[in-house]
Amino acid sequence: MNNPIAQSVANLAPTGGQKFRQRVLPLIILAIIVVAIPFFGPSRTVYALLSVMGINIVFALSYNMLLGRGGLLSFGHAVYFGLGGYAAMHAMRAIEYADGGFWAGFPVFGLPIIGFAGGALAGAIIGWPSCRRAGTPFAMISLGVAELIAAAGFMFNSIFGGEEGISGDRMNGPELFGLSMGPVSDVYWFIAFWLVVGVGGMYAFTRTPLGKMSEATRDNPERVEFVGYDPQRVRYLVFIFAGAFAGMAGGMAAVYFEIFTPEAVSLLPSGFVLLMAYIGGIAYFAGPVIGAIVLTYMQSMLSDFTEAWLLYLGLLFMLIVMYAPRGLAGIIFGVTGSFSNGTFSEMIGKWLQQLAGAFLAFLGLIVLIEVSVNWSNGFGEVFEPFGLHLTFANPLTWVLIVVPLALGILILRRANRETEEVLA
Amino acid sequence: MKLMKSAALAAAFGFVAMGASAETLKIGFIDPLSGPFGPSGDAAMKHWMYAAEQVNKAGGINGAEVEIIAYDNKVNPKESLIQFQKAIDRGVRIIAQGNGSSVASALIDAVDKHNKRNPGDEVIYLNFAAVDPSFTNDRCSFYHFRFDSHAEMKMNAVTDWIAARPEIKKVYVIGQDYSFGQANAKAADAMIKAKRPDIEIVGNELHPMGKVKDFTPYIQKIMQAEADAVITGNWGADMVLLIKAAIASGHEVPYLTFYGGSLGAATAIGKDGVGQLYQISEVNTNLETTPEQNALIDGYEAAYHDSYYYHRVFNAMTMLDEAAEKAGTNNVVEIAKQLEGATLDTGYGTITMRAEDHQILQPLFMSVFSDNVTRGVEGLPLGWTSGDADRIEADATAMPTSCKMERPE
Repeated sequence: MNNPIAQSVANLAPTGGQKFRQRVLPLIILAIIVVAIPFFGPSRTVYALLSVMGINIVFALSYNMLLGRGGLLSFGHAVYFGLGGYAAMHAMRAIEYADGGFWAGFPVFGLPIIGFAGGALAGAIIGWPSCRRAGTPFAMISLGVAELIAAAGFMFNSIFGGEEGISGDRMNGPELFGLSMGPVSDVYWFIAFWLVVGVGGMYAFTRTPLGKMSEATRDNPERVEFVGYDPQRVRYLVFIFAGAFAGMAGGMAAVYFEIFTPEAVSLLPSGFVLLMAYIGGIAYFAGPVIGAIVLTYMQSMLSDFTEAWLLYLGLLFMLIVMYAPRGLAGIIFGVTGSFSNGTFSEMIGKWLQQLAGAFLAFLGLIVLIEVSVNWSNGFGEVFEPFGLHLTFANPLTWVLIVVPLALGILILRRANRETEEVLA
Repeated sequence: MKLMKSAALAAAFGFVAMGASAETLKIGFIDPLSGPFGPSGDAAMKHWMYAAEQVNKAGGINGAEVEIIAYDNKVNPKESLIQFQKAIDRGVRIIAQGNGSSVASALIDAVDKHNKRNPGDEVIYLNFAAVDPSFTNDRCSFYHFRFDSHAEMKMNAVTDWIAARPEIKKVYVIGQDYSFGQANAKAADAMIKAKRPDIEIVGNELHPMGKVKDFTPYIQKIMQAEADAVITGNWGADMVLLIKAAIASGHEVPYLTFYGGSLGAATAIGKDGVGQLYQISEVNTNLETTPEQNALIDGYEAAYHDSYYYHRVFNAMTMLDEAAEKAGTNNVVEIAKQLEGATLDTGYGTITMRAEDHQILQPLFMSVFSDNVTRGVEGLPLGWTSGDADRIEADATAMPTSCKMERPE
């Protein structure tokens, strides 16, 4: 006898093809991209930038295990990145000075494993008291712990190396895969390998029962308790894993930079990882990846063009929080999603309007900021885009500030009003 | 949408980046240009740019035009290493850095590793302000040259100055609680005991770095100890707040600082600091000097509306120029070989780049903050001045070194 109710429900489980497309294909594409890049003959700058992006992607994803997947706002995630990195750094020195024994046979290539273990250990110790509460108490405790570790970083010189940190040499120990680890192109392969492992591992984590329970605990801890799980324990376990993956990113950074300083456990990188995850979009698995790429680029390259890069970063964050809370990934998936559900043709007009408005408003803002920065420097340097000589005394400057800004805001308002009318 | 914005931004600013001409000698200036330490890096950059201008006016270095390319390192060691890679990509083989011993430590390491891994494509490093003594002692490198006197040399000069003043009987040492402050505290203690055993060190205190907002309790302690002079290696807000608290408490004894003359301090402290605030440095703009040097100071201050502070940047540029001309090439290893042991007659005496550890030996001056000066700082009628007795000769600043230099073939 068949149950009539069960019969009438369509099978909602994804087909094998869907599973492959959604779960395995993106990882394969990522792997293909990182393997293909060296064939274009990148320069040192590109190698350096890509390596740091790889480190930051793993770091930001590990942070999103807490914020996006677990609903835990942490202000001290760099602690685990830093402690994992320090563990790897000390291991690197042990390899360098090894005289036989375990460390003499340990390849530098495997150091992220040490970082992973170090981060997990730190997470297990620090998470024990701090995971008892979620929400604001958790955030406050994480802030306190971050301050504590940052202060300790300058006090315990044998562990953290004082202001100048500790450094090592990655060209020691046995070689794996024929990589000497000396030139940046060798280190790129190392970073690429661990990037794929890290991203794959963290994606796999979201598919485990613990990963699923983490999302459930974020949404409704009471219900989780009702069905027989202990939310505290779920949080604690997730916290350990997040710390471990952050430590792994730290291990990658230790090998790449060959130096770790107490600055790495301070509040600055903790804030930066929050920005990466949030700007990228915490609701999507790929969000922090996008955020890490964009922010790493801004941090290392934008400062060549303007010393006001921090201001642009702040503006970007504010705009995302106010107008696109789902982050850059939300915008991208919004556009691609409209292809599949057929709303693309309706939405494209509005998007183009918004894009034009935002572009114009930003143009005006750039002129205002750059002219101001050069003026406040006070040594006669002038903002000269496209051969224009823009100073505050030049009426053209004000035209270029006011007209695009006003026009941009007007277009944006119109676009938004139309949306409201459609919704009403 | 936001992604496109940043892409558009980058594209828009791409046009501002300057193209390099064929015959240039590029110096990569890696220092903070944004954030809380931005002003310090910015001031140093202006000095480098002006120094480059002067050299270019005189025909450049071996006929090559000097170009300063600035990289913002955000005083972050890791970020500095990324900027270092970018600089190498752009053909920079000489880097200059000063602010932050943590960054300097990372860069010395990075330069050494780069040179070891890329023979024939070496980079040299001109350090104009990072003062950790180890850089020219056990961590010394053939490719690193320091154009500032290191912390122990400065402390040596400060204690020499104290030792020469019999009226000083009690000294108080206060500093920030991290490696630099701790090293200073130890050095002050040892040096005073060796030079003037009769002086009593009535206090040797470390306070949390950058956390103290009101130094009055510390000042009360110093006053109770009846100190005749206070030594501090404090910099930034810790220095300014300490001095301001001393002024407010009416504690009128000399405060002997390392960084009393740093940018913005004069404005923050104001005329109440006159006669009380001292600074040990390689220059003050009111010293008697040659007309050329005075013209250089005038020229700089007119060009950038900023106080002349980093005299050592001009020393570094001139010595680099002379070493390159002597080597007859702009190959940096050849330049480095000529820089070793090089001497230069400056407006304030002869300076030497000591060959054994690449440490500059230069005369130091204990200057006092004064309202009776011909040349003020930061647009104020206040400035720094010193008498004949406040000069510590270059030889007297020399300290023994533990450096075992490894030189290329």
